[in-house]
Amino acid sequence: MKNMGFRKKRGDTPNIQFKESMNSLPEIPLNPSLDINIDILKSAYKDCADVVFRDFSISSEINAVLLYIDGLSNTEEIDQHVLMPLIQLKNPIEGPIFERVKKEISVSDIKEFSTIPDIFKQISIGNPIILIERQTMGISVGLPKWEKRSMKEPDAETVIRGPREGFVETLRVNTSLLRRKIRHPLLKMKQISIGGYTETQVIVAYIEGLAENTLVNEVTHRLKRIKMDGILESGYIEEMIQDSPLSPFPQLLNTERPDVAAACLLEGRVIILIDGTPFSLIAPCTFSSLLQAPEDYYNPFYISTLIRWLRYIFFFIGLLAPSAYVAILTFHQEMLPTSLLLTIAQSREQIPFPALVEAFMMEVTFEALREAGVRLPKQVGAAVSIVGALVIGQAATASGLVSSPMVMVVAITGIASFLVPRYAAGITIRLLRFPIMILSGMLGLLGVMLGITTIVAHLCTLKSFGVPYLNSAAGLKLRNVKDVLVRAPWWAMDTRPELFSEDTRNRRREAENQMPSPEKGDGG
Amino acid sequence: MCKIQAIKRTFTLFLLIFLSSMVLTGCWDRTEINDLALILAAGMDKGKNNNIELSVLVFIPRPQQSGQGNEMSSGGSSGQSFVRSAEGKTIADAMARLQEALTRKIFWGQSEVILIGDKLAKKGISEQIDFWMRHSEPRIRADVLVAKGKAKTVLKAIPELEKDASIQLRKIVKSHIGVRVTVKDLLQMLSHTSNVAVLPWVENLPPTQMDKKKAIPIIKGAAVFKDGKMVGRLSDKETRGILWPRNEMKTGVITISFTGEEGSISLNLLRSHNKLIPSIKNGKWSMRIKTNADLEVFQNTTEFNLFDPNVIKKAEKKVVYEIEERERLVMTELQKKLNADILGFADEFEKKYPQIWKKNRDQWNEIFPEIAVSFDTKVKIQRTGLADEKHKRGAER
Repeated sequence: MKNMGFRKKRGDTPNIQFKESMNSLPEIPLNPSLDINIDILKSAYKDCADVVFRDFSISSEINAVLLYIDGLSNTEEIDQHVLMPLIQLKNPIEGPIFERVKKEISVSDIKEFSTIPDIFKQISIGNPIILIERQTMGISVGLPKWEKRSMKEPDAETVIRGPREGFVETLRVNTSLLRRKIRHPLLKMKQISIGGYTETQVIVAYIEGLAENTLVNEVTHRLKRIKMDGILESGYIEEMIQDSPLSPFPQLLNTERPDVAAACLLEGRVIILIDGTPFSLIAPCTFSSLLQAPEDYYNPFYISTLIRWLRYIFFFIGLLAPSAYVAILTFHQEMLPTSLLLTIAQSREQIPFPALVEAFMMEVTFEALREAGVRLPKQVGAAVSIVGALVIGQAATASGLVSSPMVMVVAITGIASFLVPRYAAGITIRLLRFPIMILSGMLGLLGVMLGITTIVAHLCTLKSFGVPYLNSAAGLKLRNVKDVLVRAPWWAMDTRPELFSEDTRNRRREAENQMPSPEKGDGG
Repeated sequence: MCKIQAIKRTFTLFLLIFLSSMVLTGCWDRTEINDLALILAAGMDKGKNNNIELSVLVFIPRPQQSGQGNEMSSGGSSGQSFVRSAEGKTIADAMARLQEALTRKIFWGQSEVILIGDKLAKKGISEQIDFWMRHSEPRIRADVLVAKGKAKTVLKAIPELEKDASIQLRKIVKSHIGVRVTVKDLLQMLSHTSNVAVLPWVENLPPTQMDKKKAIPIIKGAAVFKDGKMVGRLSDKETRGILWPRNEMKTGVITISFTGEEGSISLNLLRSHNKLIPSIKNGKWSMRIKTNADLEVFQNTTEFNLFDPNVIKKAEKKVVYEIEERERLVMTELQKKLNADILGFADEFEKKYPQIWKKNRDQWNEIFPEIAVSFDTKVKIQRTGLADEKHKRGAER
């Protein structure tokens, strides 16, 4: 299981080897001779047009070289705060040259290093470096700068009430967003770099004392285990660290919203931020959290509870509606009230296909239309929706290929899968719908039950980072139900959700007796 | 690690074989709704040579808004269903014959009405009920009725308001005008020691002048069965009398008038509750029928002022008399003439006096006509309405 996606069995010939991360490069120390160092670096950065080597001499005496990657560093600042003071250094240099140079550079973030691999690391994250003649130490200056996308509201998780900011592709911006929400020093951010070529920076964020240590260790351990060429999106990491890699259910949540991430941190979960993508991962994830939307916690609790129940109902509709329709229509005609059956019989009279084929046809068409709608450029989108409305609506029934009750079932099913607030969970029910439909077409309601039983059995075995997937649903502790069956008002949600059975954390998150009432007021 | 994978692989292989075997069987009880002949109602009649004639009302699933309009508009007589019948030695036999003449598979699952022709009813129905209970498809909650004349003609009737006879009968039965008996109830009644049953009696209303084709089946009284054979009929009024003790009285208007007074008062039943209280004293069997009823005034054509409590008391007394009169009427009919215990007296005695009942079970037919029945009726007029009597005096002036 360890080797998923990275099988050593077959491709293990000596010359085809996995590219290890730069961390595992041999630690070549800097040579006292500047020329030798430059030769090593130049051969390393052969054919790299964007790497700039700038030779200069400090106060016209000592040779030095400035090295950076064009476009990753702030050239103006380099000129002004690094090059200029060093070149114009007038006084003859007394004492150790290295310390003197460090003093002259008017930049806050300055690091020292002593090996060649360190140079690669520093300039690849945008820190220009300075190497000086006869010195075995180099200086890296924290002046990275590159083009960033401006922050905007995430499209996949829009809210009516709630903050409008979203994570961006830049890791530092994302960490700052989190830090701005949770200002306590106990918010920890461990940095790991993953990817042989990409060297992607990944941050494990958690609140010390709220997140179980074992959980944090497990997450970091699993992240460190990843050995692959590159991480371009959170999806890479998600598939590499989930507990059951073959399960269709998402075992990590993802979010683009800093407020969701912060809320999860406060519940004692761990956030994984990945450079280069606005999506962050949340671990662990339980089944009930798939059906919770961020807005639930911002709106009044009555409406949140009602909407949550609506979601539960439509979750099952989205999963089962077409299969139940097919099963009842082809196996259990006696189950429907007479007048309803007669109406359906009338509308189905001229349909040339069996109910199962009809349902399959429509569901596949619907999925195709949705996929087309996502991929198409916006200008063509309108055309797709018009054609879609014709295919799945009026024209389909008018042509006599599809019965109108079927159109309704497909439409409701389609809406139902959009009602799941987590896109990943929506995909799962879209996927599971099809095998259940086949089962129902073969075995009727028996098949539907078989499907449900299989899914529930699977859910029972699932774990996300050691937390049972059905945690809050199966435990039946009244305290855990307050955020599952209902959304309890904030003054009643006084404890954090229980994630592990042996919880060593402090679970109380509110002082006692927080319900507001006139007696408690002390003013006017 | 390798072991687990090997187990997984074999498991997947088995799963695949298992799944494909289900597809390959090719013979499962899957039936498209287009291949079913949906039976809405069934009728049983006495056929020639002791045969059973089975008639079925089959639904025609014709799309409602078909493009070719001329076909639909002329379709009047046949409508959305048709009646087909076949004879056979048993119902199952007749059904097989019927199937030969139908292109689609007969489907009993939606048949909610079973009609029995009066000739067959007089001959005996116990053997025929067996089919409806034993076969897995028909609903045991289907309503059973007895038709005057042939069941087939009742099925063929096209009522004015409803689409076909099946819906018409079902809705009428539901409205609690007469008794309501399902296949299950009938079987229970027939297998009881007293072996009596009561079924609603259906007659076709004579065709109206406007449309001679249309005949409307309605419920008119009840048919009483003893030992599986129909032995008599109860009139509409008598049926009301048995509805009270059977606790099936749900709606109804009682009209009372006073001697020496013009006009009458009509009262609507709001709710009623009934209880049978058996007692055996010194070897004398007796039964007290206890009735509690709440009523409201619908119309008052007398001079009485209903705001006067004394008048209300008087009216209540009169209503009690009316109800008891109806019950008394039917009791004499049941006890003296039919000797049919359709109110379930036997059950009550068995519950209260199990030992005595065991000894006397075989003599029940002799005991039942001799049971002294008494009535204990309490009536309350709850609402008199807002209108007072002044407007009538104004009209006289």
